[in-house]
Amino acid sequence: MSDKILTNREPLRSGLDLEAMHRPRARNGRAPDPHVPGGWFPMREHREDEAVDFAIVGTGAGGGVLAARLAEMGFSVVAFDAGPYFRPLEDFASDETAQSQLFWTDRRVTDGENPLKLGSNNSGKAVGGSTVHYAMVALRQRPESFRSRTKQGFGADWPVDWREMWHYYAEAEEALKISGPISYPWGPSRPRYPYRQHDLNAAALTLAKGAEKLGIKWTETPLATLSAPRGKSPPCVYRGFCRVGCSTNAKQSMLVTFIPRAIKAGAEVRDLAMVGRIETDKQGLATGLHYHRDGAWRFQRARNVVVAGYAIETPRLLLNSASDRHRHGLANSSGLVGKYLMTQSNVAVWGEMDEEVRWNKGPPSLAITEHWNYDDSKDFFGGYIHMSQGPLPVEWASVHTGARGLWGKALQDEMAKYNHMVGLKMVGEMMPQERNTVTLADEEDQYGLKVARVTYSWCDNDKAMIEHSLDFMGRQLEASGARNVWRQPDDTNHLAGTARMGDNRRTSVVDTNCRSWDVPNLFVCDGSVFPTTGGVNPSLTIQALALRTADRIQALARRGEL
Amino acid sequence: MISLPDLLMPSRSGRDARARRALATLSRQASALRSAPRVPAVLAPKGPPAAKSVVVGSAQKLNQASGVLAFSVLTDSALEHYRGSFRNRAMFTPLVVSTLALAASVHGTADDRPDVHVARDVVFGLTALTGLIGTGFHVYNVGSRQGGYRWLNFFYRAPIGAPMAIAISGVLGNMSERLRRTPRGTPPTLYGLDAGKALSLFTALSLAGTTGEAWLLHFRGNFQNPFMYTPVTIPPASGALLADAALRGGASRRSAARAGMIATALAGLAGTGFHMRGVARMMGGWRNWTQNLLDGPPIPTPPAFTGLALAGLAALDLLERRDD
Repeated sequence: MSDKILTNREPLRSGLDLEAMHRPRARNGRAPDPHVPGGWFPMREHREDEAVDFAIVGTGAGGGVLAARLAEMGFSVVAFDAGPYFRPLEDFASDETAQSQLFWTDRRVTDGENPLKLGSNNSGKAVGGSTVHYAMVALRQRPESFRSRTKQGFGADWPVDWREMWHYYAEAEEALKISGPISYPWGPSRPRYPYRQHDLNAAALTLAKGAEKLGIKWTETPLATLSAPRGKSPPCVYRGFCRVGCSTNAKQSMLVTFIPRAIKAGAEVRDLAMVGRIETDKQGLATGLHYHRDGAWRFQRARNVVVAGYAIETPRLLLNSASDRHRHGLANSSGLVGKYLMTQSNVAVWGEMDEEVRWNKGPPSLAITEHWNYDDSKDFFGGYIHMSQGPLPVEWASVHTGARGLWGKALQDEMAKYNHMVGLKMVGEMMPQERNTVTLADEEDQYGLKVARVTYSWCDNDKAMIEHSLDFMGRQLEASGARNVWRQPDDTNHLAGTARMGDNRRTSVVDTNCRSWDVPNLFVCDGSVFPTTGGVNPSLTIQALALRTADRIQALARRGEL
Repeated sequence: MISLPDLLMPSRSGRDARARRALATLSRQASALRSAPRVPAVLAPKGPPAAKSVVVGSAQKLNQASGVLAFSVLTDSALEHYRGSFRNRAMFTPLVVSTLALAASVHGTADDRPDVHVARDVVFGLTALTGLIGTGFHVYNVGSRQGGYRWLNFFYRAPIGAPMAIAISGVLGNMSERLRRTPRGTPPTLYGLDAGKALSLFTALSLAGTTGEAWLLHFRGNFQNPFMYTPVTIPPASGALLADAALRGGASRRSAARAGMIATALAGLAGTGFHMRGVARMMGGWRNWTQNLLDGPPIPTPPAFTGLALAGLAALDLLERRDD
């Protein structure tokens, strides 16, 4: 690796400062093969002045899947990502600080009563998006979540039937060879997970013990990391660096699954290509996009544009693409672009065990309970899961310095307990509120584009859920034998909303095909289309929706409606 | 000159002559694994050829089988119990016992006398007992963790079927001793049953059990390579053919069973190769052998099928003798 690091002349900044972060790799008819150090795939390239069928902005859980499926259907596809194209085997270090290279840390403004902390667990800047560093938790939303308004009395209904979503969940699970339990204890029956569950580490066994003491069900978390070999990917070796990038390729991120599929099927991927604006013509149709690569603005013509930049960059791009015909931003006749931003609560309880736990070994969340997603006897709307935890040392130190304000000797004493710590952390459904928004700030970023202003406030229901989860998780952790249990009451993670899908063009940004109501050749394919965010990690839902969107696009094309 | 068979020999008169004979047989076995009587006259056994021909020959083949199994268990338990840091001192037991069983098997393979050898008999008895006790330990280990007897713990705790391999080795050795005791001119029996039938059925059952173990662990590995279906198809099918030949008789059924046993023996050897490739597919491959020998597919286990197939071939010899 060392000979790859400092080929550029610039001084070391953050991270490893790899060449991949400064010069595009996917070009000249080839793209990096993430499974082979120094390896390449042949890649079809497209001319900028010839309109491709689809220009896709973003290569994460939404864009990555869609690029592969559309290319496999025979469409010409160019997918853009603002981040670098890594080969994990040679580019990733076992070092938390260096691996911050995977996060989207461009300038943003945050405000509201509960400003979001942006960066690590809710963004990604790499080919493969945040799936390159996600925790691989691959869950299905419960059926009622797709009819929250009708069945549960809050939020909005999805314009998609849960059975259809569950069909695509199965497809996504198969594509990623999710390792999960033989039978899943909650919800309607589902097919057996493609790969077997992983063994549990001591932190996960603690969750199991507490759950059994309290009489609730638990299971092994379905994870997108391999429990047996698959092609060139070895099975997981339980290194535990998952959330700063998997250097073995056991993690089935977009980078090692759908991106190679896309390129093999004829799609082109452009790395280090920041899309700044979607161009529209006098009829209001998208004609292509302006993107920044190699230090210059360029233009790619396209017959259709897909925005897959996640819940901040997607509305930002749409708002930044305002034109005479779309004065308030593209696809924004409803005025809802950037509204109903949702995050998921990610509060935790932590405690100490007498015996050594070594919680950083293995994927961070090996055991889970969905009890409070499926038990409706609670005093708040929505639901949450909670899972065992294994933060790495720097992340753990930042919990102490941040949430607890510890420093000096107190911090040292806490860190000395590292190998004996256990924790439970929830992923909880926060309510869609119109006042939680992504808008444009007056500041500009390094590309000269207006940066996003992210405004967030919790509502009473959010607070009730947080209180409920802290109380319950605290009891569970104590039941498992932990001492000195304390709360971390302020963390959030995944994002959703800001371009919600719906049945009505006045109350949603995209229709059931994830196509803009206003611009018929513009699609959105990421978590921004979620009308409600559900009480589970969103990646599998985004992937399932992308698989569905690909099929919908194919159906539209066959009917001549594209 | 002292060898392991010497050491195992009880101290009594005529010991040296027997040891020489045993060593001569051992070298003969080594040069031609299939016990072929076509050997130079100097090395030919001195006993009466008629008695040796099938019954003692089968007994020696059973010692080959028990030896292969003991070797598989020795190497596998060494690897797996080392991986488990020998947390419980009882985890050394299979290493000691399978070493003894291996030595007794080598000794028996080289010994063509038609009578029971007390030390060997004791070793094989202990070996069988160890397998049963070990199974108890493994059953306890699976259930003792959070979640109890659920798939997770069957996959990742002590492999529940593994200790039975050494039990089978012990039983085969015990059978070998019983066979040797067959009076000349009487049909061989085992535990009161016709020997060929008893050995066939025991072998078929053992193949089924070992298949179960392979299925569990290959299911855990999701049969990600189609060849992972080999040990869950060929051995049980061959075991069924063997049982069929034992129960219904007939030359064609015996031929089919013999083909099955040869296929099973080869599958066991091929499995070792596949498991070595499996180690190569782990992160870091063979360069990272200190980790991957422990975490990859266990290289020593597939030859257990070869051992059982050798027992099946011995059973077929006995069936042939019975039916002819």
